[in-house]
Amino acid sequence: MKIQKKTAMLLSFALGTLLLAGTAIADISSQSGYGQLKDSLKLTAAKCSDSYNSFTMDFSTAVTDNGKTVTSSDSVQKYDRAKNAVESVNTSENNGQKSRFYSYMDASTTISQNPSDDIYYVNQYSEPTKRAFFTDPFKSSNSEDIEKIADAVVGGLKDYVVVKDNADGSKELSGTLTEVQIPPLVNAVASLQVKQLFSNPNQTTHITKDIYVKEIKGTALINKDGVLESILGTGILSGKDAQGQVHELTFELLGKLTGINSTAVTKPDLTGKKVVQQVISKPNSGPGISDPQKFVGTFKNDIVSQKDGEFVKAGERIIDITHMDGKTVAGSYHEEYAAGFAANQKPPQDFKFTATLNKGPNQDPQGAEFTVPGTNTKGNIHFDEALGQVYFNINGPSSQAFNSVFNKVFK
Amino acid sequence: MAVFQAALVNEIEKLYKKKKALVAVILTLAIIVIGQLVIVGVRSGFGVRGVGSVEFSMLVLSVVINTILPLFTALIVIDSFSGEFAANSMRITLTRPVSRFKLFSAKLTAVAVFILTALMLLLIFSLLAGFLFNANSASLGDVARIVVAYLMSLLPLFVLALGIALAANILRSGISVFFLAVLGFIVFQGLGMFFTRYSGLLITTELSWYNLWLASTLPLGKIIREFLIMVGYAIILFTAGFYLFDKKEF
Repeated sequence: MKIQKKTAMLLSFALGTLLLAGTAIADISSQSGYGQLKDSLKLTAAKCSDSYNSFTMDFSTAVTDNGKTVTSSDSVQKYDRAKNAVESVNTSENNGQKSRFYSYMDASTTISQNPSDDIYYVNQYSEPTKRAFFTDPFKSSNSEDIEKIADAVVGGLKDYVVVKDNADGSKELSGTLTEVQIPPLVNAVASLQVKQLFSNPNQTTHITKDIYVKEIKGTALINKDGVLESILGTGILSGKDAQGQVHELTFELLGKLTGINSTAVTKPDLTGKKVVQQVISKPNSGPGISDPQKFVGTFKNDIVSQKDGEFVKAGERIIDITHMDGKTVAGSYHEEYAAGFAANQKPPQDFKFTATLNKGPNQDPQGAEFTVPGTNTKGNIHFDEALGQVYFNINGPSSQAFNSVFNKVFK
Repeated sequence: MAVFQAALVNEIEKLYKKKKALVAVILTLAIIVIGQLVIVGVRSGFGVRGVGSVEFSMLVLSVVINTILPLFTALIVIDSFSGEFAANSMRITLTRPVSRFKLFSAKLTAVAVFILTALMLLLIFSLLAGFLFNANSASLGDVARIVVAYLMSLLPLFVLALGIALAANILRSGISVFFLAVLGFIVFQGLGMFFTRYSGLLITTELSWYNLWLASTLPLGKIIREFLIMVGYAIILFTAGFYLFDKKEF
């Protein structure tokens, strides 16, 4: 009897362990629909940033109130790796007002057009640079943290995503959450957000009470390579306005990836269009000086002093630019005092300088820095193309006010 | 079987006569009242509906399944084992012509009855409160889903009870068992949050497996896997617990 009991116990213990271990392995290796969606999203981002030569991304959103469109937006982005070009068209409609924003970028040009006017703003780069083509958001440093947070929020809802395998190897993912399945906290937070969105009494849709998320739906299509081709999400919220009328708000988001390796990006033809052009050394730096030669010459301002309760001219500060091209600038600076004023001053500044125009990122490309010869004193110079002026500064303590704006001396 | 029944009735009666079970029931009802007050407050304060009639039951379940229910399950199990070890009343029970296996099973069945009663009370009162105080949003299918979700919550709670019963048979002091249980619960909850991939294996994550039963399209594969994992846990914990209980000298 005693032995029998022990055997039974051992057997049941072994059975339990087997059951647990077997299922545990199956559970870890099985991929939930949510996991498959996430994997596909990562693969798509990686392929778009590293291997596809060209593709078109299309995102559109729409908000409707009892079937009437409140706002909608559509963003089409075309990428072409060989040309290093990106073209995007963003259109949006807000309470019946339409607007369109167009932009084109390649290694040597950016073109943009605002919705408010018909003018094309063109930036021409003198040094063509390779642009960041499409950056993989999953490679950013905090993407893993965000993923963990998303996993925690999704939590028990992971398994609500249903996967349907198609004969051609593609997959259809779908999921529906109705009121009962949406966690109450998620429902409350989403409702509050939406309430804030529609809190302006001037809006046509202005809901104030009894707001709740009624339904969340989503479908996605993953092609046979595991790349996410389209994703559609719909959220339906219900609420009442001050008059007690029920509004059913539908939020829709559609993302599509099309034209893989077959998208063509063409530079727009701007002949006959209004164009404002600027020459810039490279992206992210301000415009450079388009014709530096014109700054060669003399620039001056007055040294102003006070005498007997009046402003009087004590002398002049003079800059002579002797050489200037797109890269370097050379010249001299000196001060001339009128008789009777020189005695009050320390020896007037008089030096020659050469400087290289700034090239680094986040530096002023229309300026240069120099060192006063024989000293550690630094100075800087900036050329204002529009006003034909030069801004000139010498660092260090100055005994008197220094006017750094110099005007061109015309002959 | 008659012997087991007698032992079970005896255990349930002991449970019923203890204050703890009563306190548990009163507290769960208090949760419903407080929850409903919060919802009403949120609704009038923020203009957010909060919950409809049936969602209120799910809100209550999602709160109590991670707080009050495991806590009182632990207390009841500890009382049933450590409490009787300490009070030496286990000896009296053992003098009866009941085998230790039947006694161990009867004790755990009584715990299961307690959990089920608590769940059913919660279900009935939360549904009542839900229908009385919240806008009607129910369909028959929703109510059926909720009943299933409540019933299904018995399983993970029972596995939890088996784990605590094992601990109660290892450690002598009821207080250390209680603290071990609470600490373990928190640790497992934390692990589940950080290792989402393996969270399905933790019993604390299984506590919310009722969510699977709410899905519009039942994720059968996942339900079967979770069920088998819990059965596996139950067999191991029951066997280990009984082994120790059987060996114990009183």
